[in-house]
Amino acid sequence: MLKILIVDHSLFSQKVTSNLLKKFLEPIDIYYATDGEEGFEKYKEINPDYVFLDLLMPKISGLNLIPMIKEYDTNAKIFVVSADVQKTVREEVESYHILSFVNKPFTEEKAQAVCSVIKENFDD
Amino acid sequence: MIDSNMTYDILKELFNISVGKAAEMLSDIVDQKIVLNVPNVEIINVSKDSIKMKDYLPENISGALMVSSISFKESFTGTANLIFPADKMKTFIRLCMHEEEDNYEDMDFNDIDFDIIKEIGNIILNCIMGETGNSLSINFNYSLPEVKVFNQTDFCGNLQKNEFVNILILYITFIIGNTEIEGAIIVDLTLNSLKELLEKVGQIEDTFYD
Repeated sequence: MLKILIVDHSLFSQKVTSNLLKKFLEPIDIYYATDGEEGFEKYKEINPDYVFLDLLMPKISGLNLIPMIKEYDTNAKIFVVSADVQKTVREEVESYHILSFVNKPFTEEKAQAVCSVIKENFDD
Repeated sequence: MIDSNMTYDILKELFNISVGKAAEMLSDIVDQKIVLNVPNVEIINVSKDSIKMKDYLPENISGALMVSSISFKESFTGTANLIFPADKMKTFIRLCMHEEEDNYEDMDFNDIDFDIIKEIGNIILNCIMGETGNSLSINFNYSLPEVKVFNQTDFCGNLQKNEFVNILILYITFIIGNTEIEGAIIVDLTLNSLKELLEKVGQIEDTFYD
């Protein structure tokens, strides 16, 4: 079964993301973390197939968490789901070779696009 | 060549465009049309001018305010606030959760309510500040979003206790489609940021005369 880790400070956004992923990707196991530090611990413990990260989080920000995960697992498959629309932030995040940067709100249309990438990626 | 009327007009228009994009996001979240009013820009000398909150809020808002905010510091210092009347927040949350009817007897807010309002504020205010920053080639370094309940006088005092003499206030009011929920967005920027911001806007203005 596909394992997905959602790291987001907002429980509301965690719920929105997980509900939409479940809609297009059943069956999946979803795990949650509410800050970067917990996210990194959960990543090492679960070894998820995909991770969805917010950027603005306490303890360790998403921007700092991405290189930590990439250093631990060079093949980590990361989606960033953030409210930050600044071009410079997007460019910096994308330099870490993430799968995609998606701006909040995470909608059905965006979830469908992300899930298509996952399905293609997972089938390969 | 900088014409101050033109500078404010450019700033107002950039703010207007960013708010328009944020309104589209809010509309996606609550599945309702967002009706925006005309945005305004004002510079206030906080030591001389008293801030009259009613000038920045829709006429019908009275009572406690639910304020979701993000602050930014370093090169640009200020706060962006998304403001709603607290007594309409249960209806707003219902819209965000796509629940059918209002059946809230308990009007107290719980942690989930605060989390939803904080996250919606985070999305909307990031869009407004980020898009304005993208247009002006400036970066904002945000702190974690916050949500608080204020009465109008306390919120005013919060703006006025700013350590800088002059603050720039960008503000706009709106109404959520078929609901009676009216809200406001107020962004305040301090003097140092203000000077740099107006210089950036001036650079856009200069291109008109090249």
